[in-house]
Amino acid sequence: MTTTQARQSSARRPVPGRTIRLRILRCDGPGKPSRWETFSIKVESGANIISCLQQVAANPVTADGRATTPVVWDSGCLEEVCGACTMVINGKVRQSCSCLVDEYAPGEGDQITLEPMSKFPVVRDLWVDRSRLFHALRRVKAWVPIDGTYHLGHGPRESPDAQATRYVLSECMSCGCCLEACPQYNVEPDASAWDTSFIGAHAISQARLFNMHPTGRQLAGERLEALAGPGGVNDCGNAQNCVKVCPKHIPLTESIAAIGRQSTVHAIASWFARG
Amino acid sequence: MTTQDSQAAAPRGSFLDRHYFLLRRLHSLTGIVPIGVFLVVHLLTNSSILWGGVAERHHAGGGMTDAGVAYFVREVRWINEQVPHLLLIETTLWVSILFHSVLGVYYATTGRSNTDRYRYQGNWRYRLQRISGYVGVAFILYHVGTLRWGWTFLVPGGTEWSYPFAASTLAAALRGSMDGITVGGVAVSLFYFAAVGLLVFHFANGLWTAAITWGLTVSVSAQKRWGYACAVLGAGLLAMGWGSVIGYVMLDPKRARVVEMSLDPGHQTGAAEKASLEGRREAGVARESEGM
Ligand code: SF4
Ligand code: SF4
Ligand code: FES
Repeated sequence: MTTTQARQSSARRPVPGRTIRLRILRCDGPGKPSRWETFSIKVESGANIISCLQQVAANPVTADGRATTPVVWDSGCLEEVCGACTMVINGKVRQSCSCLVDEYAPGEGDQITLEPMSKFPVVRDLWVDRSRLFHALRRVKAWVPIDGTYHLGHGPRESPDAQATRYVLSECMSCGCCLEACPQYNVEPDASAWDTSFIGAHAISQARLFNMHPTGRQLAGERLEALAGPGGVNDCGNAQNCVKVCPKHIPLTESIAAIGRQSTVHAIASWFARG
Repeated sequence: MTTQDSQAAAPRGSFLDRHYFLLRRLHSLTGIVPIGVFLVVHLLTNSSILWGGVAERHHAGGGMTDAGVAYFVREVRWINEQVPHLLLIETTLWVSILFHSVLGVYYATTGRSNTDRYRYQGNWRYRLQRISGYVGVAFILYHVGTLRWGWTFLVPGGTEWSYPFAASTLAAALRGSMDGITVGGVAVSLFYFAAVGLLVFHFANGLWTAAITWGLTVSVSAQKRWGYACAVLGAGLLAMGWGSVIGYVMLDPKRARVVEMSLDPGHQTGAAEKASLEGRREAGVARESEGM
C-alpha cells in the first residue's frame, strides 16, 4: 500500500465508538432570533443525521453541559423519497436521512454543521415551511386533468421513449434542494407574492413532465402562460446550481430549456392566432 | 396546442408585468442583435491596427506598424464618411444598449449570488455575467463619453479624439499623453483591458445562455457543444479586444500622427472633409511639428 492510499483509507475509515460534534443553527419560532448550539454525540455504527438528532432529542444538553430544548426537525420516509428532511449540511443542501455520519465525520471530534434551508421560513430549528414550493406546483397546474362527472376511459398510448423521459422527471420529491441552491430564488414569507416571485426549477420541470403527458397536455397552454409572466421561466439566470444539487438527478436545466423552447413556440403561435 | 384564451387571466399589473415575456426576450435578443453584432464589428475594426499591417504592407514604406495605422485610420474614416444611415445605426444601437442595460441591471438585482457556498463553474459564470454587466455599463459610458462626447476632463492628459486622427488620439488617450505613458494612462489602459475582457465574456456567455432561454439547446450535450462554440468565439474576440488595447498602448502617437498626416484625405474623403482636415491642421489640433 502506498502512503497516499494509506492516508486516504485511514481518512475514510470511521473510528468506532467516536464522539462527534453537531453544530446546529437553532430558532425558537417564526421571527425569533437564531443562535448556534453544539452537541456532543456518541456515534452508533451506521448513524445518519436523523439518528443523531434523535439522540439530541432524547438528551437535550449542549456540549458545554447546558440543558436546552430538544432540536426540532422534519422527516418522513427516512429513505430519501419524501424530501421532508432537507436541510443545509456543512453549507450544502441535501437530505439529512441519507446523510451518513461515517462519511461526514469519520474521526474523533469531527464536526458537522446543520442549518435549516434559508429560502423557506423557519417553523422551528431545522424545520421549514415549504408551502411556497407546493404553491408553485398549483401555479403550473402540475397534474393530469381527469376530474369530471363521467368515466373518461383509457388515456392515449405513450411511446416508450416519452415514458423513459417522463419517468426521470416524475421522480421529483419536492424537497426544495434546487430552490435552496438557486441564486434567483429568494426567501419570500409573504404568500401574496408567491404568484409573481420566481417559481423555481422543480415546478418548471413538472410543467414539462405534465406537458409531455398525453392527457396532461390539455393544459399545456395554461402552464406556459403561467410560466411566461413575472417569476416564470424567464427569471432563471442559468447558474445551473439546481441540477448540481438535485438528489434525484433530474435534468432540470434540460427542462428549463425545453420549457423555454415551448414558450418561444407558444408565444409566436398565439401571437399569430390572436383574434 | 390550443389555449383557452378566455380562461387566461386578464392582463394586470404594471407595463413591465403585462409585457413581461416580450421584454425578457427582447432583452435577450438585443444582446445579440444589434449589440453583439456591433461588438464583433467594432473589435474587428479596432484590431486592424494589428492585422491591417498585413493587408497594407505594400502601400506603406514605414513597416507593419505604420501600415496598421494607415489601415485603421482609413477604415474609421470610411465608417464615419461613407457608411450609409450612420445616424440610424447609431440610434438603434443606443436605444438597444439603453434598453439592455436598464432591464439587465433591474433583472440582476433580483438575484443573490451564492458562489461562496456553491462553487460550481456555472454559478461563477452567473455571477460574472452580472458583474461584467455593471462594469460594462460604466465602461461604455466612459469609452463613448471620453472619445465621442468630449468628456476630456476624464482623460488623463485631456486628449480629444477625432476620427481623421483616430489612431494617434486614441493612443494618446490610452497612454495619458502624446509623449509617453503616464500613471493616469496606465490606469485607463488597465480599465480598458479589464472591461474589454469582461464585455467579451458577457457576450460569449450571454450567447450561450440565450440558446437555453430560447430553447435552441435543450439537451445537456447540445448545451455543452454550443458552450464550446461560444468559448471559441469568445477567445477569438478576446484576442482581438486585448490585442487592440495592447496595440494602441504600445503605439507611439506622434509616429501615428505622421502616418495620418501622410494619408491623402482627398483619396478617401470629399472636398469638404479635406477642407476641414486642412482646417484642423492649421488650427493646431495636430501638433505635428512638435518633436518630430
Ligand atoms: S427537482 Fe430535485 S431538487 Fe428540486 S425539488 Fe425535485 S427532487 Fe428536489
Ligand atoms: S439554472 Fe435557473 S433555476 Fe437552476 S439554479 Fe440557476 S437560476 Fe436557478
Ligand atoms: S425523510 Fe424523506 S427524504 Fe429524508
